Amino acid sequence: MPGIEEIKNGLKKKFKDAVVAVEEQSPTRLFVDIKSAKVREISNGIIAMGARYLVSVGYDNISRDGTLGMIHTFGFDRDGIFLALRTSVPESKPVMDSITPDIPNAGWSEREYMDLLGMKFTAHPKPKRLILADDWPEGVHPLRKDIPWNLMPPAAEDVAYQLDECPEGCSIIPVGPYHPTLHEPAHFAVFVDGETIKGSDYRGFMTHRGIEKLCQTQLTYNEIPFVAERICGICGSVHAATYAQAVELAAGIRISRRAEYIRTIMLEIERIHSHLLWLGVAGHLIGFDTVFMQSWRIREPIMWLGERITGNRKTYGMIVIGGVRRDITPEIKEDILSVIGKVEEELLTVKKAIQGDSAIHRRTKGVGYVSTEDTMLWSLVGPVARARNVDIDVRRDFPYAAYDEMKFDVPVFDSNDVWATVLVRLLETFEAIKIIRQCLDKMPNDGPILTELEAPIPPLRHGLMAVEAPRGEAVHYVITGEENAPDRWRVRAPTYPNLQGVPLMLLGNQLADVPIIIGSIDPCFSCTDRMEIVDLRSGAAKTASQRELEELSRNKR
Amino acid sequence: MWLTSKIKQVFMVAKPGVVTLRYPFEPRPAPPNFRGQPYWDHHKCIGCGGCAAHCPARTILVRDLCQELRVMVYDGSRCTYCGRCADVCPEDAITMTSSYELATGSKEDINETMELFMATCQRCGRCYDHEITNAIDRMSRIGFKYDSLEMRAVVPVSSEQFDMKLYEKTEKIKRPEKAGE
Repeated sequence: MPGIEEIKNGLKKKFKDAVVAVEEQSPTRLFVDIKSAKVREISNGIIAMGARYLVSVGYDNISRDGTLGMIHTFGFDRDGIFLALRTSVPESKPVMDSITPDIPNAGWSEREYMDLLGMKFTAHPKPKRLILADDWPEGVHPLRKDIPWNLMPPAAEDVAYQLDECPEGCSIIPVGPYHPTLHEPAHFAVFVDGETIKGSDYRGFMTHRGIEKLCQTQLTYNEIPFVAERICGICGSVHAATYAQAVELAAGIRISRRAEYIRTIMLEIERIHSHLLWLGVAGHLIGFDTVFMQSWRIREPIMWLGERITGNRKTYGMIVIGGVRRDITPEIKEDILSVIGKVEEELLTVKKAIQGDSAIHRRTKGVGYVSTEDTMLWSLVGPVARARNVDIDVRRDFPYAAYDEMKFDVPVFDSNDVWATVLVRLLETFEAIKIIRQCLDKMPNDGPILTELEAPIPPLRHGLMAVEAPRGEAVHYVITGEENAPDRWRVRAPTYPNLQGVPLMLLGNQLADVPIIIGSIDPCFSCTDRMEIVDLRSGAAKTASQRELEELSRNKR
Repeated sequence: MWLTSKIKQVFMVAKPGVVTLRYPFEPRPAPPNFRGQPYWDHHKCIGCGGCAAHCPARTILVRDLCQELRVMVYDGSRCTYCGRCADVCPEDAITMTSSYELATGSKEDINETMELFMATCQRCGRCYDHEITNAIDRMSRIGFKYDSLEMRAVVPVSSEQFDMKLYEKTEKIKRPEKAGE
């Protein structure tokens, strides 16, 4: 169990002059500047110390010192320390070692900066295009500052993403670009031998909207929370909270305790509605519509509650830098208590129904198995990891807002399958209700809900923040800028690492289980109109409608 | 086992019964602090442009037609109903009403245009710069006086200075007969 001093000394001793500088921003945040040549070695050293990889952040620093910056971030779960490994490469030769061969989850982050910044990573196992559209011109890297935010290159035809080679004797089943589980576009190519899945490839980012670039160039600090909220339709507050806290951390702003409590309440209300939503969707995917109807019925009062507290049923718009916008009055407090009391009671009935239903057991037990070691290797997060015996929860490990005063359990299961994720989410909903009750009980009665900023936010400060979203942890990295807007704002939604683990979960399962396995990570991309089945041996293609796939999934016994 | 669990589920479903609301046929009023269509009170508005500077969706445009006449346009078709304008308004001229049934055949129905008479300071008329320390100006980095009403676009300037070139550029855009339409 290394403390912050031990991490610092350990790195300095082991890597000597490769470590250029160490900055201890706070007792929980450590920034380490290193030479780019040793990045892979040092990353491995940090993982060996017991850290978990979070995300990489690339940024354009050409105007200041002619370099492209790269930051790998790690979290020490047991000690509550975040570590950011900062390095840079010159613009003329933007080449650095890839850390993906050892840390597979870094694969997407690195591919992202190949696309967006034109960096190159030696020994990357899959250096394919990830974020940009297939017809985006080569050599135009949109996140560089010299590219205007509203650049619109002409569309090209006959350009397609080259999927991975299909294994011998297997057929490819493309699932998507419109997708069978949820309601956003993504493309899985599933390689099957008969009914058994032998592998898969993913092509997504079809709704890449360039929010980061837009916010860095066009919006100001306190406008971004409202855009951040629209990153995700289900866990919007989470992104607004993560962003606001990252900026507050970078600028050293302290907000009132009351505002922190209100943030906590909003995040937990959101967790209840998100988990109930997922439960309904999962029930629907395995053909158990009673669960779908009932859990959404229970969820509706929560949406109305949100409407009464914030003025809107989903986009709460509560969180801005410096605090929150609306107060929780004594009347609203009573309102919250009565609503969550009712939800708890009704959810208990649904929980009993789910636990006693043999059909759900048969469809979810043993499905989507991933071993605990693989889960840690791929740094999966949230309920997906907790269902696979990895005991991590940002609320407990890196407390933010008012979570340091909350007492709650973190449900962890070791059956490593979809059934465990169902249980984790069910139990977490009860924990969320517990946390809301504690918040309302302990909340200080006075104090401003919005702290006025005394001075402008100083430029070029770094802030790293993680928040436990319903789906896992959301990580935001902010570099403050000059003109009242961030210089770099990196968002990592919880689905980002979890989606990379889907090929692992699919492996060896049956085709009919694809919807529930992909659904089990509660993905934030998604839905379906149709999918295409191509039989490689005969070369005949036929189109299966969503209904057919759904039938396949629902009729499985 | 299977049968008993199904019977229990029947009871679980039967207890709450039908919960569907007969919404379009029976009105469903929004709660009192709902963030619905914003309403501008032109009697109260002083034309400071704080709402325009804070609007994340850039739906509020301000254009000075001359020294005395300021036009403010709210483009409801792009509004996200965050209610930020109502928060920052120093005169409480903006209220978020609880009306939400805004579907319309014409965009103009949900737009709002105000023409405000702006008094010039009797001394030199250029003292606004001294107020740059107030919160609204500190937060903003957009020059909200030269927005293009015709293109429905906010014209951003990143300096506090009056940008003559930018002004000339937007000046050349042909104006319709009546501002804001």
